[in-house]
Amino acid sequence: MPLSRWVLALADSSGRTSGSAAALATVTSLPNLDERALVSQAQAGNRAAFEDLVRRYDRDVLRLALNLMKRPEDARDVYQEAFLKVYRNLHRFRFECSFYTWLYRIVTNVCLDHLRRRQARPEDQAPEIHPNRMEEGPRDFFDYQKEHRPTLDPERTLIGKEIQSRIARAMERLSPRERVVFEMKHYQGLKLRAIGDALGTTEETVKNSLFRATRKLRNELAELR
Amino acid sequence: MSETPKFTRCEDVAPLLVFYTCDELTSEEREQIVAHLAICDGCRAQLSEEDALQAAIDRMPQAADQFESSGVLLAQCRSELSESLDELSAPKVKEGWQPFGWVRAWMALRPGWSAAALLLVGAIVGTQVLQWVPVGNGNGNGSALKVYAAPRITSDTLNKMEVSGIISRPTGKIQLQLQAEQPMTLSSDEDGADVRRVLTFVISNSDRFDAGVRLDCVEALRAAAADEQVRAALLSAARRDQNPAVRLKALDALRDMAGMPAVRDVLLETLQHDSNPGVRVEAINLLVRAIESGYELPELAPEAPDSESPAQGMAPQTLPLPGGDSEQRILRALDELRQHDSNRYVRLRSAAALRQIAQQDMQ
Repeated sequence: MPLSRWVLALADSSGRTSGSAAALATVTSLPNLDERALVSQAQAGNRAAFEDLVRRYDRDVLRLALNLMKRPEDARDVYQEAFLKVYRNLHRFRFECSFYTWLYRIVTNVCLDHLRRRQARPEDQAPEIHPNRMEEGPRDFFDYQKEHRPTLDPERTLIGKEIQSRIARAMERLSPRERVVFEMKHYQGLKLRAIGDALGTTEETVKNSLFRATRKLRNELAELR
Repeated sequence: MSETPKFTRCEDVAPLLVFYTCDELTSEEREQIVAHLAICDGCRAQLSEEDALQAAIDRMPQAADQFESSGVLLAQCRSELSESLDELSAPKVKEGWQPFGWVRAWMALRPGWSAAALLLVGAIVGTQVLQWVPVGNGNGNGSALKVYAAPRITSDTLNKMEVSGIISRPTGKIQLQLQAEQPMTLSSDEDGADVRRVLTFVISNSDRFDAGVRLDCVEALRAAAADEQVRAALLSAARRDQNPAVRLKALDALRDMAGMPAVRDVLLETLQHDSNPGVRVEAINLLVRAIESGYELPELAPEAPDSESPAQGMAPQTLPLPGGDSEQRILRALDELRQHDSNRYVRLRSAAALRQIAQQDMQ
């Protein structure tokens, strides 16, 4: 899993970095000086500076949105809405935290809104697309017997696919907040404190969310033991 | 001693194994968990399950890897954001109050009905409303309005033009050739007002135009001397033009108007003050002609006291002055010329004029 720049920045802002993350955060501290100037210029109405800021982080924003929303069109909406909010509210940014943290806060709030809306009106939503399910295709006895990679055990492959399918199903049943915390912890690689900063809540609350999410997943996989 | 709670029981350790696998414990918590795992098979088995779950989660394919491997979606997002920013940056067109907006919306959706409705409204306005609204001279007869073509000559054209030719036909038709931004030819038949305007402008601006042109213009205006504006221009030329030939020509053009007070004022002024003897003689001729032809002389404007005094002083030496006061002023001026004019011919002509007037009075 690639360590995104957000990971580094948020870990740095949380003050609890360790290992390679801390080292990389130190390396990236110099460009942060340029970033402060960029943010100031963008606040003064410099469109090019704002677009430069967008280019720095939008890849990570889109990745988070895609993983959470599971639908490209929803991810596009999140991207658009989040950066327009940033553009409109940039004058309120007072450098009390890093720009990354501030941006991440906006993006996660937009994601939460979309997920809550989707949960409230499931009849209006297209089904989520899961990569592992798309690869499944028609499944019959011969599918189970096929072995594309002779070095692997076919039974283990089959069980592995079943586990992934159940995890995906269980993740659909997570609350929006649990889903965001789970995604940020496991796929964005953020520390719990940094997640709390982004969501505007305490580390303890985030910890509880992650615990509940993990328990739901374990319950879904209990039959496979 | 340390206040950190001791995780020695399985029910205390089990909830922390999730955070143990994802490295979210403090170093002290971690040490205590490790110590407990070393002596507890059950918690070690649960940790194995947590590790397996963690591994399965890590192996989960990511939607972002599938959808955004080509970067097309990111490019699309950037493009859409840029467009949105353009819209936000562009100054908003202020939408003011739009009167009858619903009418326009209705008409836009029903073009056929709209055309019919507009025709009906036009017919009603044309047939009914005009009866209630006074038109033209107010007599309600719907009399036709006089519509004139817009003049071709503007003030700007007058200030910049040069006259390149004035052609006077025996029929009275005048043709003007002008050099302006665009060369143009005016004819009195089609552009009578413009022709008159150009001619009067030329003789009123003697410093801009050649004396020959001014002479031609005065000649061309002769036939229109009855017009008030033309007469005013001719009087101005007779009084102020630097060239005596033009002044003479202007007086000649006013020959038939000599009975008019304004014209007689100018003749008297010329008689007394014009520097050219020929012009003064012409003024004498016109005044005598006016008196001889029996024009009834209206009251002239009272002369200034300082000009009256010498005339009154000369009165005992002059001929008896018949007629009214205005005629006496002319006679006094003629007598003054007879005695004091520097030009001998003017003195002779003045004396002859006085004799003519005296003979007419005797008859």
